[in-house]
Amino acid sequence: MAGRQIYNPDGFKNIEEDGKVIGYQFKFKAQYYRGITLSIVRDIKVNVDGEDVTRDNIRFTVNGETFTLEEMRTVIDSDYRWEFGDYAAVSIMKEGGLAIGTHHIKALQIIDPSYMPFQIEAVCETDFVIK
Amino acid sequence: MSCDIKRSVSLYSYQDEYYDKKLDLEGCLCETARAGATGVELLAEQMIRRFPLPIETEEFREQWFGWMKKYNLEPSCYDAFLENHIYDNRMLSLGEQINMMKRDIRLASLLGFHNLRTLVSTPMEVIEGSLEYAEQMNVKIGLEVHAPFSLNSGWADGYLEMIHRTGTKYFGFIPDMGIFSRNIPDVVRDKARRHGASEECIKIVDDAYAKRIEKGFVKIKYDLNLGKANMEYRMANGMQEMMDAVKAADGGPADLEYAGSSFTYSWSDPQDIIDNIDYIFHTHAKFYNMHEDYTETAVAIPEVIEAFKKAGYKGYLSSEYEGGEHLRADMEVDSIEQVRRHQEAMRRAIEG
Repeated sequence: MAGRQIYNPDGFKNIEEDGKVIGYQFKFKAQYYRGITLSIVRDIKVNVDGEDVTRDNIRFTVNGETFTLEEMRTVIDSDYRWEFGDYAAVSIMKEGGLAIGTHHIKALQIIDPSYMPFQIEAVCETDFVIK
Repeated sequence: MSCDIKRSVSLYSYQDEYYDKKLDLEGCLCETARAGATGVELLAEQMIRRFPLPIETEEFREQWFGWMKKYNLEPSCYDAFLENHIYDNRMLSLGEQINMMKRDIRLASLLGFHNLRTLVSTPMEVIEGSLEYAEQMNVKIGLEVHAPFSLNSGWADGYLEMIHRTGTKYFGFIPDMGIFSRNIPDVVRDKARRHGASEECIKIVDDAYAKRIEKGFVKIKYDLNLGKANMEYRMANGMQEMMDAVKAADGGPADLEYAGSSFTYSWSDPQDIIDNIDYIFHTHAKFYNMHEDYTETAVAIPEVIEAFKKAGYKGYLSSEYEGGEHLRADMEVDSIEQVRRHQEAMRRAIEG
């Protein structure tokens, strides 16, 4: 019995720029049932191998446009929604990226649909491999 | 007995297949028709990419109405989400919220819907401020009546007062059939077991639910502070005693989660439908797990449909499958089969 896939299994990788590894990336789907403006994604928290990632080092990409979490607070454009069932790419700025091998990620999606008395806090956890 | 009750499917039901990209919007419409429904309920923000822009284009609308024709479907209800907290630093002003509601009424109308579902968090002033436009566009605004809310309650009276004061024919209730749950759904109990809940704690919670039904649920009050009203409702319905008993039986997180989730379900007398039929023009036929023999785990489908028949209801009963959320972390969800069974169960009750 396999549950739903939250992370794109092929989405884990180090990010290179000008021949240097500047960070790493993963892709996941929103754990909610409709597309949303990025403005109601109130936070993304990332912990890899037991270490918390600083909020400022997180970048969020949908439809080819990249935002910081701070910028996302005001993003309501129809072209840059987190569509239901689509992966968003999350990049973590970290010199050298992640070592080749197996890692563990625990990420939290905090989404705040206006009608709900509480925010959704979806824990997304998996092992992954950096090749 | 002749009967004008129609069957629809809310595309909310197919969310797991859509999430996995096994079905797209057209695929969902095709499945809706194959299940035997003649109506379709749409969450535009769920399945129309780049919401709301495509709805404004003739190209998309041509495709939409083409699908309606191809699959013999009629738009039954447009589910709107009044995103009045779209920015984290403030609520939208009353005027902004009314404009958003009017936008949604217009979008619904563009796609051929005459009913729009709004959520309980919609302020009364926003509804009142949109009524004239709703009438102009011939789209009725329906307030979802979902547990912990119920018809024939202090909460519902607040809205009836507004209906009578304004004389509007463009506002009413959309009951969610989850308010007719005789027990906690089996899929919720099975999930609790998978997560380590004890049989002792499960029994405490199930017995507490049965006791709530036996005594009659204490109804929720009308209060703009929904969190406060909900907590008062839970306490009045014996939450503290149940939680204390679960803790005394060494209940862990899975036990407490099961206990807390029991308040997602409630039981109202189906007579409530008959009493309020003048204000009901669409219905969410919520269900959680349809068995192979066409019985539902919790919702009293035959009894509720009997009440709709007695009342002379002419609207849609729209299948809304909500069992997937209790399965998807551990196993595959088959919404298509679930909806098929549910439509068949409703057909039998309507025609029987």
